[in-house]
Amino acid sequence: MKNLMKYELRKTLAIKLMILGATALAEIVFLIGLWADRNRMTGIGVGLLAMLAFGGVMIIGIASVVILHRDMNTKQSYMLFMTPNSSYRILGAKVLENGISILLAGAFYFALAALDITLLFAHEGRLADLWNWLRDLLQSFDARITMDTPTLLALNFNLLVTWIGTVCAAYLGDVISTALLNGKRYNGLVSFLAFIALMWLVSFVQGKATAGISGIRTVFLVDGGIALVFAVIMYVLTAQIMERKLSV
Amino acid sequence: MLESRSVTKKFGSKVAVEQLSLVLEPGHVYAMLGPNGSGKTTWMKMAAGLIKPTEGAVLFKGSPVGIESRKHIAYMSTEPYFYSWMTVKDVGRYYRDFFEDFSYDDYKGLIKRMELTEEMRIRTLSSGMMAKLKIAVTLARDSEVYMLDEPFNGIDLLARDEIRESILEHAAENKVLLLSSHLVEEMEAIADRAVFIKNGRKADECDVEDMRNAKGVSMADRYREIYGHEGVQA
Repeated sequence: MKNLMKYELRKTLAIKLMILGATALAEIVFLIGLWADRNRMTGIGVGLLAMLAFGGVMIIGIASVVILHRDMNTKQSYMLFMTPNSSYRILGAKVLENGISILLAGAFYFALAALDITLLFAHEGRLADLWNWLRDLLQSFDARITMDTPTLLALNFNLLVTWIGTVCAAYLGDVISTALLNGKRYNGLVSFLAFIALMWLVSFVQGKATAGISGIRTVFLVDGGIALVFAVIMYVLTAQIMERKLSV
Repeated sequence: MLESRSVTKKFGSKVAVEQLSLVLEPGHVYAMLGPNGSGKTTWMKMAAGLIKPTEGAVLFKGSPVGIESRKHIAYMSTEPYFYSWMTVKDVGRYYRDFFEDFSYDDYKGLIKRMELTEEMRIRTLSSGMMAKLKIAVTLARDSEVYMLDEPFNGIDLLARDEIRESILEHAAENKVLLLSSHLVEEMEAIADRAVFIKNGRKADECDVEDMRNAKGVSMADRYREIYGHEGVQA
């Protein structure tokens, strides 16, 4: 498993380095703007950083799906599937590597945002407003969000497993297309519809399960728990199809 | 050691391999012969566990091929399959990471014999160099079964001698060597048994020496008999 994860990381390294390089450039723009008192430049830097924080995490997930597709549909598939590893391990390494990457990317952008926001408010001389600004920002997403650590942890857990669940649904859609519908007409469309249907199902179950819950922290945890259960089910189903049906 | 039991593989309506039964015993070098598209590669991929048969099964020591058999079967595909970001050294490290029977020292010796260096990048290799690398990394495993699909494709005449020698060094009492090719004369000097595949079916299987002594027929002659005008490339 360790070796499989090592090579999964290597396959996604280029895209991660590109995201990191773009983040470094955006950070430089932000810092120069702050240092030179050029508000427009600072604003551009903040905008770019915010875009990269959300986009970067999304791109890491999407890249993982693209790599799985390539690993099943090109001759490079032999590199993976001729090794003595089951589909569960091969897919598990992908899910784990992707999950850890998303977690680390999230933590990295969170730390960077904390640093930049502190610098910004310190520079503007209104450090005392920082806490209120953060509270207002979070409440703009949901009025029930409070600035306590357990709620923030629950929110992070929810975001992480929701995105991993989305990636697992995309894996399943792609494997259905490659292993079950290979060569058939509209297989791409069918797998995309399968992905949409899975995402709808997860969100439907989440909606039903959290309908009567008032506490936002509990909602985050229940929502995340359901996403996690679905992610596990989709992982097992995907690996099972690969193991039984996939020809590369 | 390796057995194919009534194996059929269909791709949609096209039948690539049909009811192919075959037993490969240790101590032999097998030539799997047939024109392009006859089903050799598809059968080898099934034996390597890369393709699932539509019907029948390929067995290694009595069990269907799968994760366990991949530890003991060294397969070389005819197509290049290494990751483009790799160097020759990375390829060796990759095999070392995944195959317990892989020897990095043997690999270094083989790439030297093939006139390759560890620093070479995969994306810059010519087709001939790539073919040599595939052979080097496959033969650096101490496997029970070696399956080399078209090992002489893209290889010049001088390098072929080196490759032929390297392959024969791996022939042993306890090993199966299976080489597929449509270059029949090349196979004649290596194999002691021949399996002829035609339209996905086994057309004949024979001992090369017996065929030569008893019937005065060479492998190439038999190839012409079986394939007729189909086999002109032989």
